Amino acid sequence: MTLRALTIASLLAATAVAAPLRYAEDRAPPIVNPLFTTTMSEARLAELVFEGLYTDDAQLSSIGRLATSLELAEDRMSAIVHLKPGVTWHDGETFDSADVLFTVRALKNEKTASTDRGRVAFIKQVTAIDDHTVQFTFEREEYAPEDKLHFKLLPEHVFAGTAVKRTDTFRTKPIGTGPYTVDHFNDDNSISLLQYDNYHDATRLGAITMREVADKNYQSKLLLYESLEALVRVMPRDLATLQADRKIELYPYQTNSWWYVGFQQARPPFDDARVREALTAMVDVESLLAPIGTGEVVTGPFVTSSPYYNHKVERRTLNESKSSQLLEAAGYSRSGEYWTKGGEPLTLRLTAQESLETSQDVVIALQSQLESQGVKVEPTFVGAAEWKSKVWNDRDFDAVLSQWSFDRSEDITEQFHSGGKLNFGSYRNADVDTLLEEARDTSDPQRKKSLLRDAHAAIAADAPMIFLWTLDSYSAVSRRVDNVVIHPFYYFTWSREWELR
Amino acid sequence: MLALSLVAVATAVQLLLWAAPGDPIDLLPNGEELREQLSVEWGLDQPIAVRVLSYLAQASTGNLGISLAYRPGMPVIDVLLQPALTSLGLLSGAVVLSLAWGTALAVWTRGQRRQSRRLVRVLSVAPVFLLAHIGVHGINELTFSLIEAGNIARPAWFALPAEASLVRSTLAIVLLAVGSGSLAEIHQEVEQALLTIRRSGFVDAARSRGEPTTLLIARHLLIPVASLAAARTGFLLGGLVILEKVLLINGAGAILWQAALLRDVPVALGITLFSAATVCLARLAADAVRIGLDPRLRGGSR
Repeated sequence: MTLRALTIASLLAATAVAAPLRYAEDRAPPIVNPLFTTTMSEARLAELVFEGLYTDDAQLSSIGRLATSLELAEDRMSAIVHLKPGVTWHDGETFDSADVLFTVRALKNEKTASTDRGRVAFIKQVTAIDDHTVQFTFEREEYAPEDKLHFKLLPEHVFAGTAVKRTDTFRTKPIGTGPYTVDHFNDDNSISLLQYDNYHDATRLGAITMREVADKNYQSKLLLYESLEALVRVMPRDLATLQADRKIELYPYQTNSWWYVGFQQARPPFDDARVREALTAMVDVESLLAPIGTGEVVTGPFVTSSPYYNHKVERRTLNESKSSQLLEAAGYSRSGEYWTKGGEPLTLRLTAQESLETSQDVVIALQSQLESQGVKVEPTFVGAAEWKSKVWNDRDFDAVLSQWSFDRSEDITEQFHSGGKLNFGSYRNADVDTLLEEARDTSDPQRKKSLLRDAHAAIAADAPMIFLWTLDSYSAVSRRVDNVVIHPFYYFTWSREWELR
Repeated sequence: MLALSLVAVATAVQLLLWAAPGDPIDLLPNGEELREQLSVEWGLDQPIAVRVLSYLAQASTGNLGISLAYRPGMPVIDVLLQPALTSLGLLSGAVVLSLAWGTALAVWTRGQRRQSRRLVRVLSVAPVFLLAHIGVHGINELTFSLIEAGNIARPAWFALPAEASLVRSTLAIVLLAVGSGSLAEIHQEVEQALLTIRRSGFVDAARSRGEPTTLLIARHLLIPVASLAAARTGFLLGGLVILEKVLLINGAGAILWQAALLRDVPVALGITLFSAATVCLARLAADAVRIGLDPRLRGGSR
C-alpha cells in the first residue's frame, strides 16, 4: 500500500514538472560563469541564471534588477546603490552587499583574468554601507552609472577568495539569483534549467533546456518538427520556410554587429590608401548582400541605428573609373588579366572564418567581382584556432572577411585605436586615436555622440576596411510560446514574461 | 607491444597537435593577456619535446591530465568515461553486425548470384556521413508526414537525431556496419575465405568420410573472420568520428572533433589513446581466437 502511494506520488510529481522550453545552440557552453564569458551561448545562459544590479527595459534603458535605487553624488564621482531586499541565491543564502563587493573585486583581481574585467574599470572603489546599501566611487565623473552596472553578480560565500579560476567547480555548479537554476549538465551536452522556486520576481516558464545542435540546418528542422521551441537566429535561407509554417512565429531583432573586409595595412600593397580605396570602389556591396539575407549597408564602424552612426558619410558605390584612376596613381597598370606592378599581379589573400555563416557565399561573390576587375583573389577559410593564430597573432593576411559584434557600449577603441588589442589590421590615425580616447573618457552622452560620429567619418575616409552591412536577425519561436520579446544581444533578458502553452 | 603502440601513438599525435596552428589560449578572448599565466599553468611554455615526455610519464601512471578547453578543469578520464563506453557500444555493435551480415551474404552468394553482390556494393559504397544524412532526413520526413496526417502518434524518438533513443543508436550501428564499403569488403573477404575452406583437403576428406562439414567449415571460418574484425575495428573507429557528429551522439568521436577544434590537446590525446588501445586489444583478441582454434599455433616452435 505504502509502495503504491509512493509510486502515485512520484508519478504526480513527475507530471507536475512543466515541459521545458527547448532552444538550440551550436555549441554547449563548457562552463557557466559570467566572469569568463567567451561566447554568446554562454552570455545567453548567464542571462537566465545570473542577474546584475541593473538590466535593460524594453526601451533598452537601464532598470533596477537587484538594485532598487541609485543616488548619484553631486560631483558625479560616487553613487550609493540600494539593493533589493529578500533576494536569495539558488542555494538559499541571502543576497547582500558582500556579494556586490566580492564580484567587483573578483573582476578586478588580475589573477581572476576575467574576460569582463573592463566592465568594472570605471569603479575605483566599492564599499558596503550596510547589508543592502553599497557605495561606488568612480575613476572619473559618471553621468549614468546604472548603464555600467549591468555586470552579473556572483555569490561571495561560494568562493574562497577573489581570485576566481575558470576551472573552479562553480563552472558546472553555478549559483545565481536569476529566474532559473542549472539542474543538470546532461550526457548529450544539453543543459537543463529549472525555474527557481524562491525567485524574487515572477517568471512563467517552468523549465528551459539548452540543446547542442551543431548543424544549423538541423536546428531549423527540429523547430519545424516541434523538437525545439526557439531558434536564436534563423539562417537567411531558412527564413521563407519558417515564415510559411503556421506553428512558428518569426521575431526580427537588431544586433550591434556589422560585417567588413578588413585590410592588413602594415605592409604593401594595402598600406597604400589609394589601393584600399580602389578595391572599395570595385565592390558592389548590395549585390554581395542580396544572396545571404536582408540588412542595411553601413559606411563606418557602427550599425545604422546607433546614435554614433554618422549619416552624413556617403556610401561608397561601385565605380570602375575611379578604381582605375586610383590604381594607376598607385603605380599599377593593366595590360592583361590583372592589374600589375613590377610584373606582379595585384593579389588579395582573403581569409575568412569557416564558422561565419554564409561567408563562403560572400567570398565567392567578392572574388568574382574583384577578379572581373583585374584583382587576383586567393581565398582561405580557417577554423577558430587558426583564425586567432594566423590573423590575430601572426597578422598573416592581406584582407579578412569577418564581423564585429558589440554590446550596448559600442566601444570601437580596441578595433580602431592604433594601440587597440583588436586592431589586427594595423590601422593608424592619430586624429582617430584622440577622438576615441576622448569618447571613452567623457561621460557626457552628447559629447560622446559627437566625437564618435567624427571618428566614423575619419575612419571611413581612410578606408581601412570595406564596410559591408548589418544583417537583419530573426529569431524563430513556436507559436505555443506567448509574450515573446527578444533582447537584441542577450536574447533572454525579457524571458520572464515568456509563457509556454 | 600494446604499451609500445600506445607510446608511439601518443608521441605522434602530440607532435601533430602541437604543430597545428593555434593553441587553447588563442581561443580565449583575452588570451594574449593571459598567455603568460596560462602557458605556465598548462605547461605550454615548455619545449615540445619536454611536453611530449612529460605527458608520457604522466600517462604511464594512469593520469591523462586535465581538460583545457572542452571541459576546463575536469580530469580527462572523467570527460571520456561515458562517451568512450557509448562509442565502444556502437563500435562493437557495428563490428558484430557487419560480420554477421557479411558472413550471411557470403554463405548465400558463395561465388554465384552476381546481381546480389552488385546490390551489396551499391548499398555499401556510400560514405557513412552521407548515408546518415539521407537516413535521418528520410526517416524524419516520413515520420513527420505521418504525424501531420494524423496516421500515427508522435513517437518518443522523434525527431532524429536530437532525441537519444534506441532508434538513433540502431541507425548508427547499421550505417557504420554498411557504409563506407564495410559490408562489401567483409562480404568479399568472407566469401573468398569460405570458398578456400570449402575447397580445402580436410573438408574433402570429411565429406568423403560422410561426416557433416558445416561445423568444420564454420570453425575454420572463425579464424579469418576474427582477423577481419580486428582489421575493421580501426576503420570503423574513423567512421565513428563523423557519424557521431552527424547523429549528435556524444561519443568519443564527437568529443575528439570538438577537442581538436578547441585545441584541447589532453582530451584529444586521451581519445586517440583510447582508440589505439581499442585497435590493439581487437588484434590481441583476434590472435587469441587464432591460437585457440589452430592447434599448429599452440605447438610452439619446431
